[in-house]
Amino acid sequence: MPEERGKRGASQWAVAWRRFKRNKSALIGSAIVVFFVAVALLAPYIAPYPARSYLPLYEGDAGSPPSFKHPFGVEDSGIDVFSETIHGTTNDLYVGLAATLITTLIGVAVGAVAGYFKGAISDVLLGLTQVFFVIPVLLLILLFARVFSVLVFRGLGLTLIVLILSFFGWSSIAFIVRGETLRLKEMEFIQAARALGASSYRILFRHIVPNILSPVIVVATLNIAGFILTEVVVSFLGFGDANTSTWGLLLNEGFSFIRTDWWVSLFPGIAVVVCVLGFNVMGDGLSDALNPRLRE
Amino acid sequence: MVEKLLEISNLRTYFFTEAGVVKAVDGISVEVNKGKTIGLVGESGSGKSVTAQSVLRIVPRPGRIVDGSIRFAGEDLLSKSENEMRKLRGPQMAIVFQDPTTSLNPVYTVEKQLTDILMLHKDLTKAEASKTALSLLQHVGIQEPEKRLKAYPHELSGGMKQRIAIARALSCEPTLLFADEPTTNLDVTIQAQVLELLKQLQKEYGMTMVMITHDMGIVADMTERVTVLYAGKVMEVADTHTLFTSPKHPYTEALLKAVPSVKQTRALEVIPGNIPNLIEPPTGCVFHPRCKYAKEICVKSEPALEKVENGHDVACHFWRDLKLEGRGR
Repeated sequence: MPEERGKRGASQWAVAWRRFKRNKSALIGSAIVVFFVAVALLAPYIAPYPARSYLPLYEGDAGSPPSFKHPFGVEDSGIDVFSETIHGTTNDLYVGLAATLITTLIGVAVGAVAGYFKGAISDVLLGLTQVFFVIPVLLLILLFARVFSVLVFRGLGLTLIVLILSFFGWSSIAFIVRGETLRLKEMEFIQAARALGASSYRILFRHIVPNILSPVIVVATLNIAGFILTEVVVSFLGFGDANTSTWGLLLNEGFSFIRTDWWVSLFPGIAVVVCVLGFNVMGDGLSDALNPRLRE
Repeated sequence: MVEKLLEISNLRTYFFTEAGVVKAVDGISVEVNKGKTIGLVGESGSGKSVTAQSVLRIVPRPGRIVDGSIRFAGEDLLSKSENEMRKLRGPQMAIVFQDPTTSLNPVYTVEKQLTDILMLHKDLTKAEASKTALSLLQHVGIQEPEKRLKAYPHELSGGMKQRIAIARALSCEPTLLFADEPTTNLDVTIQAQVLELLKQLQKEYGMTMVMITHDMGIVADMTERVTVLYAGKVMEVADTHTLFTSPKHPYTEALLKAVPSVKQTRALEVIPGNIPNLIEPPTGCVFHPRCKYAKEICVKSEPALEKVENGHDVACHFWRDLKLEGRGR
C-alpha cells in the first residue's frame, strides 16, 4: 500500500474504516442501526399518537387490524401499535446504549486496575468479575427489578432497569480489558514509557487503554444488542416498567391475544429481531475490521 | 580527576519466580565516568539488561533489587521514592531498547510519542514541543521529518523506528543513556549507521553512555571501558584496549574468539554449553562448567575479583598462570 504512505498517517482507525467500508454485511448492519437511531431520535415527530395513548379507543378503532390509519393495527385496549413500536425504539435504545456506556466504563476501570496492579485490590476485583460472570444474571435481574420497583425506587422507570442491567453486565468487558492489560503491560513500549518517567496512572490510561479500545468497542457494540434483548425479556415477562412504552411491554400485552390480534405481537417482534441483528452484524463487522491479525 | 557519574556496587537483583529465585544480577559492581562510554558485555541472560533496569528502577515483576547500592551523580538511587525516580527518568537517564518495533506505542504518531515526553518533563506548550520534536528528528537523521512526525510506527522501517526511539530517549537531554542492544534487531548496514549516530550524539550532548551488547565488534568500536558479565557476575573489567589485547579471563578470551573477522583462516570457535540455570547456579566459579581451563578449585570456591593492574580486574583463580590469547582491534 505504498500510495497510502505519507499522505496522512494511517492510524488504526483509518485502516479499520477502510476495511469496514468494504464489508457489505457490516454496512447493512450499520444502516439498520442508523435507521433505528433515527427513529428513536425522531419518535415524537413521526409517531402519530403519544406514548401509551388510548386515543384510538375513542376514535372507535380499538382492536382493529393493520390499516392505512393504523399501519401496525390497534390493541384491544385502544393503543396504536405503530406509535408504540416507535416510542419503544427510543426507550429500548436508551436502555441498550446507557447500560453499555455504564458497563463499559466500569469494565474498563475494573479490568485495567485488576490487570495492571498486583495485590489485594486486584485480587478482589478479579474475584468480583468472576462472580458476576458466572451468576445466573437474568433471574437476579428479574428479582431486583421487582423488589426495587415495588419497594424503593418507584419513579425511576426505565433508568432503574438500566442501573440493574449495568450492575450485572460489566464483567465481560472487565475480563477482556484485564486480559489485554496483562498482555500489554509486559510489552517493551510500556517499559519504555516507564523508563521515560510516566506514572502508573499515565501508563494505564494513556498507553494501555488506547491499545485495547478495539476489542472493547466490538464487545460494547455486541453488548448493546444484548442489553436491548434482556430489556425485552424483562418487560415481556412483566417485570419492567408498565408505564413506559417498550417493545417487551407490547409483546407482553399482545401475548394474551396472539390468536386473534396477532399484529400486536408481530410488529414489535420484528423490530426487536431486526434491531438486535443490526447491532450484532455491525459488531461482527467491527470485529473483522479492527482485528490486527486480518491485515490486508 | 574524573567524575564518577554512576557507581553500582555489589548489586543483587533477583527474580522471585514460582520455580525459584533467579539470581539475574548477583553482586555486580560497575563504575561509569562522566562523559565516557562503557560496555556491558555478555551472552543473553548474563544480567546486562537487568543491571540497566535496576539503575532506572524499572525491573519488572517479580524482580526486585535485594542488595547493593547505586549512586548516580552522588545520590543514592535506591533510597529514592518512586516519584523522585520518575523525575529522573527522561531528563537524567534514559534507555534505548533492543527492538524498535515493540518499543514504540503502536497507536500514537511519532509526534505524539515525542511531544508527550517533552510536555511531561519540560514546561513546553504543544506547539513548542512539536517544534522540538521536529528538530529531534532532524538530529537523528530522519529524512523528511515533517512527514514522519505524522506517521505511525508501523509505517516506518526498522532503522527509522530505532532512530525515533533514540530521539525519544534523547528528548529531555539525559546525562546518562543506556543503549540496550540497540542494533541487534537491525540490518547490518543500518546497524553501522545507528552506531555512528549514537557516537555522534554522545559527543554532541556530552552524554555518558552504557552500551549493552553481546557483540565484541560493537564494544571495540564504541566503548572506552568494558565490564564482562556472566551469569549475573562480573568476570573482568578493563579498558577496552587492554581487554582486547590481553584478556585475563577465559570467558573474555572465548568471547573474543567467537567474533568472526575478515582475515580469519581458522574456524570460528564457539563457547561450548549454555548459560547456566540462574536458579541453581554452578558452585564455585559460575563459568567452570564451560571453561576449558577449569580445575578442581574452580568447582569448589568462587574466585574474588582481583586487581591485575590499575583499572583491570578479573575474577579467575588462574589469571596469573594462563596465557590467554587476545586479538588486535
